Amino acid sequence: MYLYLPVALTSINVLIPVGLGLAVGLLSGLFGVGGGFLMTPLLIMFGIPATVAAATDSNQIVAASTSGTYAHWRVGNVDFKMGWHLLIGGFVGGLLGVQGIKYLHAMGNADFVIKMTYVLMLGGVGTYMFIESIQSMRKKTAEKTEDKPDSAFTRFLKSLPLQTEYTKSDVTHSMLVPILFGGFVGILAAVMGVGGGFLMVPVMVYILRMPMHVVVGTSLFQILFNCIEVTFLQAYTNHSVDFILAVLLLLGSTVGAQVGAVFGRKLKGEQLKVILASIVLAVTIKIVFDLTLTPSLLLAQAGGH
Amino acid sequence: MNRTRLFPVRAGMNPAPTHGISGIRMSPAVCSSWFAGALAAALLLCGAGRAAAEISLIANHDHITIDFFYHGSTVSARGVTEPGTDVIIKIAGPDGKETLKEKGKTAAVLWMNVGTLHFDKTPNLYEVYSTRPIEQILTPEEADREVLGYRALGKHLALEPVASAEDREKWVGEFIRFKENSKLYGSSVGAITTEPKDGKQGYYIKTDWPFQAPPGDYTVTAYAVRDGKVIEKIVKPVDVRQVGVVRTLSKMAKNNGALYGLLSIAMALGAGFGVGLIFRKGGGAH
Repeated sequence: MYLYLPVALTSINVLIPVGLGLAVGLLSGLFGVGGGFLMTPLLIMFGIPATVAAATDSNQIVAASTSGTYAHWRVGNVDFKMGWHLLIGGFVGGLLGVQGIKYLHAMGNADFVIKMTYVLMLGGVGTYMFIESIQSMRKKTAEKTEDKPDSAFTRFLKSLPLQTEYTKSDVTHSMLVPILFGGFVGILAAVMGVGGGFLMVPVMVYILRMPMHVVVGTSLFQILFNCIEVTFLQAYTNHSVDFILAVLLLLGSTVGAQVGAVFGRKLKGEQLKVILASIVLAVTIKIVFDLTLTPSLLLAQAGGH
Repeated sequence: MNRTRLFPVRAGMNPAPTHGISGIRMSPAVCSSWFAGALAAALLLCGAGRAAAEISLIANHDHITIDFFYHGSTVSARGVTEPGTDVIIKIAGPDGKETLKEKGKTAAVLWMNVGTLHFDKTPNLYEVYSTRPIEQILTPEEADREVLGYRALGKHLALEPVASAEDREKWVGEFIRFKENSKLYGSSVGAITTEPKDGKQGYYIKTDWPFQAPPGDYTVTAYAVRDGKVIEKIVKPVDVRQVGVVRTLSKMAKNNGALYGLLSIAMALGAGFGVGLIFRKGGGAH
């Protein structure tokens, strides 16, 4: 069955957005990412204008992350305190990032810088997470308890003022750490035009040293608020949110997020990290192909990734 | 340039009236034709006073409504001309402006957006059908005057910045390819069928109206061509309008962005929470 999308000004087979929503929602519930790095290019591939695809995806993520946060919260896997601190940083970072884009555009080759940052970030994060989680899987079988000596970086983090205990995550950090790193992710996310879940998850795992299952729930919690803000701004300033498309997508993604959350509980933290790393690397390879193969069309609409 | 998308020749197509195609709401076609005949008996006649009319045109509808289940439509045109004339049918939308990203190679191997091109005088729909290739039946000047065929369309378009004539030609070609890809532009020979009719020549064409064409005022124009010149043309309007839910939502998105945004967010929050509750009650989530 086909439905007409009033803002995208095109018609789409309803099975496409519902199916895409289901798949991306599953990833969302499993890994605590929004999945924009997959959803936006897929929507564009199915004929949705780039600006509408990005804006409507953030509207859809509001639903998927509500559903996912709720599922994780019920089993006690959302660290609200950590979430708020990351959000404060992320909000400020987002504002800085938008200024950064203006600065880049004034300099000229903005697209080149943005695309390169995106590829390097995806590739770097994916590779690191992949290698690290494989190693820790091996280590666990060999010698179970081995306390790593604190690195200089960890010692530095511990010396910062405003140390607080994050009970849900069972870690103690200075409040400044999540705020600063939330800000860092916020800047990059705004510059690259993505939600930044794929950056926030590694930050929480490797820098904040949170357990993987709490990472997923907390990440979804802060994505929820980010996407509420983005949806409103997109609807208000660009008029690019398609209500009908969002409804179709969230029909799939809210269910997918629940299923993902259930599946996630059955997997170990390392297994989750390996799968997420593989997906991030696959997306990186796809983007590198897109960059090097001659495109079939040399003109494109503005917007999107 | 001058790429043509060839449509299958629909020889021997049944020239029955195409009113009432499912999914399309049509109002009676308003025509200005002196050719009445049996099939046009129910149609309004107006503008009949054209002396020595060489061509007539009846489009199957002058009105396409975009509702919730819209998935494009079809347009058919029929009429008669003097024997020995060629027929060109042009379906076009009003000229507009468009800004597109231009892709090019950076650092020798990487394809990415390297600039912005501003196009002007671009019809948002442009389909031309002819009984023979346009360059064989029309002089270039005549084709340019009526903007018939991709070559003439290329001259009609304005774009900047372009460095040279070759550069311009390249990007005009790319623009047409871009539009063909979204089914908005097309040019083909042979989709029009002709047959002798009461000592005259009857013609018929039926083509898909792409759902990608945005709402707006479009025209279907029939040209009678002889000796390299357009000897007569007839223009019929086709207006495409949104109705119902589609219209309400698209107006609200445009005129009341804040409320629309809040509504979209509230809907998403409600749906996410609702599905969460359903799964909890379902009890399968353990």
